[in-house]
Amino acid sequence: MSLRIKPYLQLAPLILVLLLFVAAPLVFVVIVSFFRSDGFDTIPAFSFENYAALLSSSLTLSLYGKMIKYALMTWVASLLIGFFVAYFLVFHVRNKVVAIGLFLVCTVPFWTSNVIRMISWMPVLAEQGVINSALLKLGLIDAPLRMLLFSDLSVVVAYVHLFTIFMIVPIFNSMSRIDRKLFEAALDAGASRFDTLRLVVLPLAKSGIVMGSIFVITLVMGDFYVVKVMSGGGSASVVSAMYDNVSTLLFPPAAASAVVLLLILTVLIAILTRFVDVRQELVRQR
Amino acid sequence: MAHLTSSAPSAIASPRPAQAQVRAQVRADKDSRPWTFYVLALFFSSYVIFLYGPMMCMYVLSFQGEQGALSFPMRGVSLHWFHQLWEGRSGDIAGAVQRSLPLALIVMVITVVFSVSSGLGFRYRARGSNAIFYAVIISLTAPGYILGIGIGLMFSLFGWSTSWYTSALGAQLSWTLPFGVLISFAVFGRFDAAYEEAARDLGASPAQTLRLVVLPILAPGIIAIALFGFTLSYDEFARTLQTTGPSNTVPIEIWSMTQNVTSPTIYALGTVTTGLSFLLIGVAITAVVLIQRRRFGAAALR
Amino acid sequence: MNDEINTTAGHGATASTTGAAETAPNLPDGGRRGLLKAAAATVGGVLAGAPITGFPQIMKRDFQGITLRHVGVSYAVQREIGEQASKDLGFKVEMQNLDTSASITRFVTQPNSVDIADMEGWQVKVAMARGLLQGIDSKKIKEFDGILPIFTTGVYEGRKISRQGISPYEVMYTDGAEAKKIVEGQQQWLTFLPQVFNADSLGYRPDKVGREVTEWKDLIDPKFAGRAAILDIPNIGIMDAAQALESRGDLVYGNKGNMTRKEIDTTINALIDLKKKGHFRASWSTFEQSVELMASGEVFIQSMWSPAVTAVLEKGIPCIYAPVGIKPNGKEGYRGWCNGMSLMKHLNGKKLEAAYEYLNWYYSGWQGAYVARHGYYSPVPRTAKSQMTAAEFDYWYLGKPAAEIIKSDHGQPIAKVGNVRDGGSLAQRFSNIACWNTVMDENQYMVQRWNEFKAA
Repeated sequence: MSLRIKPYLQLAPLILVLLLFVAAPLVFVVIVSFFRSDGFDTIPAFSFENYAALLSSSLTLSLYGKMIKYALMTWVASLLIGFFVAYFLVFHVRNKVVAIGLFLVCTVPFWTSNVIRMISWMPVLAEQGVINSALLKLGLIDAPLRMLLFSDLSVVVAYVHLFTIFMIVPIFNSMSRIDRKLFEAALDAGASRFDTLRLVVLPLAKSGIVMGSIFVITLVMGDFYVVKVMSGGGSASVVSAMYDNVSTLLFPPAAASAVVLLLILTVLIAILTRFVDVRQELVRQR
Repeated sequence: MAHLTSSAPSAIASPRPAQAQVRAQVRADKDSRPWTFYVLALFFSSYVIFLYGPMMCMYVLSFQGEQGALSFPMRGVSLHWFHQLWEGRSGDIAGAVQRSLPLALIVMVITVVFSVSSGLGFRYRARGSNAIFYAVIISLTAPGYILGIGIGLMFSLFGWSTSWYTSALGAQLSWTLPFGVLISFAVFGRFDAAYEEAARDLGASPAQTLRLVVLPILAPGIIAIALFGFTLSYDEFARTLQTTGPSNTVPIEIWSMTQNVTSPTIYALGTVTTGLSFLLIGVAITAVVLIQRRRFGAAALR
Repeated sequence: MNDEINTTAGHGATASTTGAAETAPNLPDGGRRGLLKAAAATVGGVLAGAPITGFPQIMKRDFQGITLRHVGVSYAVQREIGEQASKDLGFKVEMQNLDTSASITRFVTQPNSVDIADMEGWQVKVAMARGLLQGIDSKKIKEFDGILPIFTTGVYEGRKISRQGISPYEVMYTDGAEAKKIVEGQQQWLTFLPQVFNADSLGYRPDKVGREVTEWKDLIDPKFAGRAAILDIPNIGIMDAAQALESRGDLVYGNKGNMTRKEIDTTINALIDLKKKGHFRASWSTFEQSVELMASGEVFIQSMWSPAVTAVLEKGIPCIYAPVGIKPNGKEGYRGWCNGMSLMKHLNGKKLEAAYEYLNWYYSGWQGAYVARHGYYSPVPRTAKSQMTAAEFDYWYLGKPAAEIIKSDHGQPIAKVGNVRDGGSLAQRFSNIACWNTVMDENQYMVQRWNEFKAA
């Protein structure tokens, strides 16, 4: 097989799916974002009014602000948890079978639908739930803590619960490729355990960290039902606002909002991938 | 180790000799563990508790009696909700599971194959691979809810009917492939092409190289892609909502059900799923252990 | 599920005595079997002259292989109904549940993938504007005369039904089979066939509230700060809010179902104010959430749907659906809604005939009794009556005290002997409708401001 067409053939399946199921629908979305909406009718046109309204509205700002806040909090929490869980599994568990077993234990909950797992937080956080009952019994509080549920806390807890696995797996992957001899070398060079972490493990796990971050941030920013349910409808998200628009067939503003969100996230990820040029790593200079 | 590090003052004063002692001790005493092990083990256990905490509530509540609600206090004890689940009384959950599982498996397989293939293809920096990379990112960031509507609309305009193995499959692939492709980048990034060259030098055909050299080395990455492919497909909601055709997947069915019923049946589903998963893992690990033991003897497990 | 009832035939016009007999073997009460047999025979006899008749056997063979896809929200499009219909009619009825937003989106973007579209009154208005439907010939609907006049004439119990919001009557008629536009006043052709409806109000915990609630303003009473919840569907939630504000005396709305920008602003600002004060514990978007909120005691008073109240009662927790009849000063009143079935434009030939059979089956009683036990009403009470016990009918429709223990659809007792259904009879509730579910002209503005309330 000639070297020139081989990569294209290898990329062909991916290209096909992307063209048919991403590019084509997005063309429709972009076109509709320029349409007008009148009450509940969509009128073909070429107008920037949706974008103008979107970009000049304070609602947009507050929605994005809220989502960025959630994304940041989730990112930090999932990064810390994900990093140390992966570290533990890769470097501290000696028996490979045990490591894989523990890893699988972490993944089993994900085979139960997300919706169910999200709902199952209610019995834990509710007024008569597990946490409040335990705290009351131990005498640590006088009255049930109502802010555990239907608050920013419950939303972030749910996000961390649902999405940390997407941080663990890439970091696990990149950590498991680190040559153990490097640890000995570092030790010989006089590095403390913390130094080794900072100067050896962290840089080599960078691609996994960036990857996990991309996944988690995208998942949070694109969500609409976790925030709806866990905040008790008390918070809106960018996508849930789209959802509300679509409910009454206001397609053009929803489409415009989708395009804006897509652009913002893509730019964000493009920046992130500059920290670790994931593609650079692939090119081998022969 | 503990008794060595407790001689801390001397260790700080003269790092070199103490380190040498540490090294010697490590080599001599492979079975002891540093203090960080216990801290991290505790951390890990806390994470598992965090992960399973709500699941525990779910397991307990799924055994409620007929008056059961979705949160505490517990009302009665029975297998009532498992009956409901089995007989398909609350929504069509059993049916949805029977549909969602095969779909998720197919998506998983296709994701792995396409992602590995793409990872291989991206190595050559062919013209246009930049654009494809950004297309992959866009596929990831496009709001699933709107994209799903777009796909449904497109199918309708072209006169195609939406169904499981056409539109829903494609929509889910558009979600899982970015994950798979990005992971395969990271995996291939550490892949030393020297192995491939060596195999070629030894006379292996490209197919043999792929099968006997490349894939085994990439195995952990492939497992990660498979895991994501399956989970993301099974849980996918936004893109599948408008592309699923005449029958619902599990997340859509549950979501639509919550418009009408409040039923611990979904908890029963969670309990059953978890039970089956553990069973599956237990069987798989036991099988692996037995096979390895038979092949290489017990020493191989260390 | 009430196993005694669900295997009886609901054949409507083509119910012959064979129909009733062959499917009624499980009835323990010979008297009831006799009643049903007689009812079926009467109905069959009266309507024997109707246009589409056939013998049940021939019809079943005719329609074999046909599948009708009925898509809509899970409280209207219930799987058990579809299964019963498939059994009775000889062709398959496939039900698919989506939430309100996803279903209307599906009808608009993939019209050929749905046969029977289940929609709310205001959604019918939207669907008509986009030319998605075909007209339903009222002459082919056997029980058309049995439909409550709320829908067919817009007059009930001598009073004109409220026109605030979009009442079913004003969107029900169209000009012909092409269904080009909505027409006022009775016509031969219909846009949709009402299938389930109710009058919504507030649900509350009598044990926590301590007194009777008959006014909407109790929803925003500061005494319930942190213990109230409102519905998170923008075009409906805002009407509940409007009812509460009007009840409190803040302002009087011209048309709660079609507010001016100023009215929207006043309402939303009041909501944001309440939210900042921490008045609302949550706003719920699914039925299940509303039940959990009430059953767990997180909330004492909230917007609620009738079957949610039933579900809470099933769990042994006291809950009352507030009777908010219109007071002499004109305030209060229920919020009405109605779901109905429409025929999508692409139906023709055998499939169209099957669709009409299905529509007629819907009105033949089984479905009416089934939804009644959830607290909903069927538009054709007279056939529903034939599928319920006398005591049940009296309780659910006539608001009489229960003569026996009233059970829910799952067999759970929800009302003791002597209890009266909240809000009284169908007549009482529906002559007290203040407004109907709607979509407003200023919808886009309203949705945006509603999101500001949520983001506050």
